[in-house]
Amino acid sequence: MRFLTLILLVFGPWVQAQNTPVTSDSLDVVLDEVLIVAAKKAKIETDMKMAVSVDEFLASSDNISFVKRGAYAWEPLLNNMSTERSTITIDGMHVFGACTDKMDPVTAYVESNNLSDIDIKSGQEGSLNGATVAGSIDLKRKSTAFGRAKTWDGAYQTGFEFNNKQFFNLGNMSYSSDKLVVDASMSHRKADDYSDGNNDEVDHSQFTKFNTSLGLAYKTSDLSSLRVDAIFDQANDVGYPALPMDLSLSRALITSVAFKQFFEKGLVKVWDSKVYFNAVEHYMDDTTRPENLVHMDMPGWSTTYGLISKVNLKGENYTAEIQLNAYDNLSIAEMRMYPQDRSERTMFAYSWPWVTTRYAGLSMSNAWDISNRSQLNFGGSLGVNYNYSKYIEFNRIFHPEASQEKTRFLPNVYASYQWDNQGFNFSIGTGYGHRAPSVSEGYGYYIYNSFDRYDYIGDPDLENEISYEVNASAGFTHKKGGIKAQVNYFYIQNYIIGRILSAGSPMNYQSVGVKGYTSLDYATLFNFSLNANYSILQNVHWKGTLTYARGLDDNQNNLPFIRPLSYQTGLHYSYRKFGIQAALNGDLMQVNYSPEYGEDETPSYTNLNVSADYSFYINNYKTVVQIGAENVFNTYYSTYADWGNIPRMGRNFFTSLKINL
Amino acid sequence: MKYAIYLLLAICAMVTACTVEKTDYDAEIATDTTEYFDFEEVTTIKKGDYKVTIEALNGTLYKGYNEIHIIIVHAQTDEQIKNADLAFLPILTDANGNKSSCPHEYSLSYDAINGYYQGYSVFTNASSTTSSWDLYIDFAIGNDLNKLVESVTVEEQVNKNLNMTAFTGQDNNQYFIALVAPQSPDVAKNDLVAGIYKFIQPNQPAGDFPDPSQYTYAIVDDHSLLLDPRMPEPSMGNHSSPYNENLTQGNDGLYHGVVNYTMTGNWTLNFIFQDVNGKTIKGTEVPIDFTPGIEGKKSELYIDILF
Repeated sequence: MRFLTLILLVFGPWVQAQNTPVTSDSLDVVLDEVLIVAAKKAKIETDMKMAVSVDEFLASSDNISFVKRGAYAWEPLLNNMSTERSTITIDGMHVFGACTDKMDPVTAYVESNNLSDIDIKSGQEGSLNGATVAGSIDLKRKSTAFGRAKTWDGAYQTGFEFNNKQFFNLGNMSYSSDKLVVDASMSHRKADDYSDGNNDEVDHSQFTKFNTSLGLAYKTSDLSSLRVDAIFDQANDVGYPALPMDLSLSRALITSVAFKQFFEKGLVKVWDSKVYFNAVEHYMDDTTRPENLVHMDMPGWSTTYGLISKVNLKGENYTAEIQLNAYDNLSIAEMRMYPQDRSERTMFAYSWPWVTTRYAGLSMSNAWDISNRSQLNFGGSLGVNYNYSKYIEFNRIFHPEASQEKTRFLPNVYASYQWDNQGFNFSIGTGYGHRAPSVSEGYGYYIYNSFDRYDYIGDPDLENEISYEVNASAGFTHKKGGIKAQVNYFYIQNYIIGRILSAGSPMNYQSVGVKGYTSLDYATLFNFSLNANYSILQNVHWKGTLTYARGLDDNQNNLPFIRPLSYQTGLHYSYRKFGIQAALNGDLMQVNYSPEYGEDETPSYTNLNVSADYSFYINNYKTVVQIGAENVFNTYYSTYADWGNIPRMGRNFFTSLKINL
Repeated sequence: MKYAIYLLLAICAMVTACTVEKTDYDAEIATDTTEYFDFEEVTTIKKGDYKVTIEALNGTLYKGYNEIHIIIVHAQTDEQIKNADLAFLPILTDANGNKSSCPHEYSLSYDAINGYYQGYSVFTNASSTTSSWDLYIDFAIGNDLNKLVESVTVEEQVNKNLNMTAFTGQDNNQYFIALVAPQSPDVAKNDLVAGIYKFIQPNQPAGDFPDPSQYTYAIVDDHSLLLDPRMPEPSMGNHSSPYNENLTQGNDGLYHGVVNYTMTGNWTLNFIFQDVNGKTIKGTEVPIDFTPGIEGKKSELYIDILF
């Protein structure tokens, strides 16, 4: 749905352009308009807070929840499914974290000031960038248009959060001329340990993050441009209170070169091709945890090369995107244990034994306006996924017959119908798709999961996970407000999950046993959300969200990390240059928890957040200051998805200042 | 634009140069093990018209199992002497002058395909200032009986994967278990090969030295060696591996089984040695619990390895 809006937004101006006489000048304008619309679509900020991290921004979406292992790098769950089941991309580029313990989801390697938008697609509609079950999260980078009226543009944000003494500085600038565009950003965040609702410090929850990005676009002709992009991200000294280890350094370099060609006539409007390279390195560190019995080094590396080539088609009442997507990823993770007597021989094994993943897929998404009121969206992809484990002997210890190479075919299809009339709208859709096991699920070797305290072993010959999905929504919008209900239901065959193995014994000293990734016959997942907003007065707006989910395995037992009934409600009041927001959010008690996967009953909680902002001008530069407080009542709580029940942050006052240059 | 690309390339180069080097896995698993494939000359003895060459892996005799190749050639014609009756007896002399032997193949048979006489010797001690090894080799070519004695040096076994153990079983027999393979294990499923021998008590008084009847050793047949590999290091908490297979005797007389090593480091091969009827001759069950911080308890019969 969001995707569709984006397409419409991008192509809206084109439709108009075709009715006007075509001159080279007006084409320039058109090209620029397209880019402007795309770039200015959204801001990375929430109602509550204008200076948010990428994680906080994602958290404001209905179908995203988070597994939190500390204050940094939360793992986004889409439709209550873990990251293996969703495709997370940056401008369509595949990036894979280098940590076996999921300390570094892809979202940890970007910063809010180099993104323009985050595009979330639920279920098989997200298969455009690669095979998926849960959907896709595409992080869209900022890209300024050519020949903008304002040659130089920029913003600077700074702020302080009192609870964990987080101090951040975010700056970005752009230059735009007829031929050349430069986008640059730089940011730095540094935070100490946070305190929970009992005012106790949560040890090992500090972080430091530096991120910078540079994008250069050059207009090679009236209708084409070349763009080079790079993001560099570095995090140092990051604590993970829920894990037995911290992070000493993680670094990512994400680069791409793209060539875009627009076409004046015909069905094909844009042809956009990109080659990319990214390298992620991640070094865990347990020297900060003297209580650990065993000292271990656990470095990880992930290197990806890829290609995306896509064309956008636009007919009278038909739009489509066809995309070719290919990548090659090499994931390596090592584990070296040190005996108490350090002069003795160290113990070494690979937790990812040099696993190569190659994927090539052709995908298509189509939108067909059947009438003014109804639209049909359909599409699909066909991918080939190839895996190769260089040191297959590791995998063969538990799976003696494991194949070193494995090729899978991954089909994905979806269709949905939307109808809209006089404020009423509804949609109904369905999807079918396969996904390949992730590197950990397929080739992981003694990956310690501190949540259920098992060592996990991958199985290279797992079957594809197959998802059958239906979704529906119904809503009503009025000039004073709107309401919308959405449901989706997934029936997932060969659902991959860890099951206790009778063979083998733990390797990590905290572990209680060994689990192997196996396929359940099936699992089912149901997600529901209800959104409403209403303008009580011209300057008083109300918004509310209710979500509910249920996940069951083939024995009708609960799946882990399924969000209980949760709610968010907020009021926004604005008066001249002042804005005041108050929001209440919480989860009900988690009744349907899964003891088998280390979950326990999580009590309910409610949080109140408030903030106020004021806008003014300093020398014609628009400036906004904001102050606020999160968890106003200083509630001590942890949510269903807090790894090891670590408590969340207690009362946190925050301040921020933003100057638009 | 060009400048920017150069800048990007420079950043690329800087970042792809990782701060922590990836482990060279082949070097990692070869740290404490050396694999020898070639038989080289240990020594050559001239005796009458003949030259006798003794070969072993790496040209060195080590404590533990040694496959031995002997080549006899005519000193003048360089012609290989085939099918001679060849007897081989290693004798250890200790500080007090006591003589003993070790498991060995006494009558060596000629391997026509490879052109040598093949046998083995499981040296139970390395040579030292107080103990020395001599090889007594007799060979008869027709009626021409040649006897020779040669002092050899037996080196300490540096590769723990070829360790051996000697013990007295509950049946009061003296047994020897020597590891033969793998020389350099992998973190993988490894074929584990061991030789099992016993000393045959002489039933008649000693004749003239060296009297082979006093130094008889035999391959133990049809017994079994139950295997439970574990990492004894306290931090490893008695860690073990799945899908190991007990050792049973193969056609080559050696015992074959499977050991899975889940990571490099110190491992203990805990054994229970049983006779044909499943009666335990030596060895005890070890705890199977995962006990972090506590050193793993070993069986009464074990061999430590390291790789």
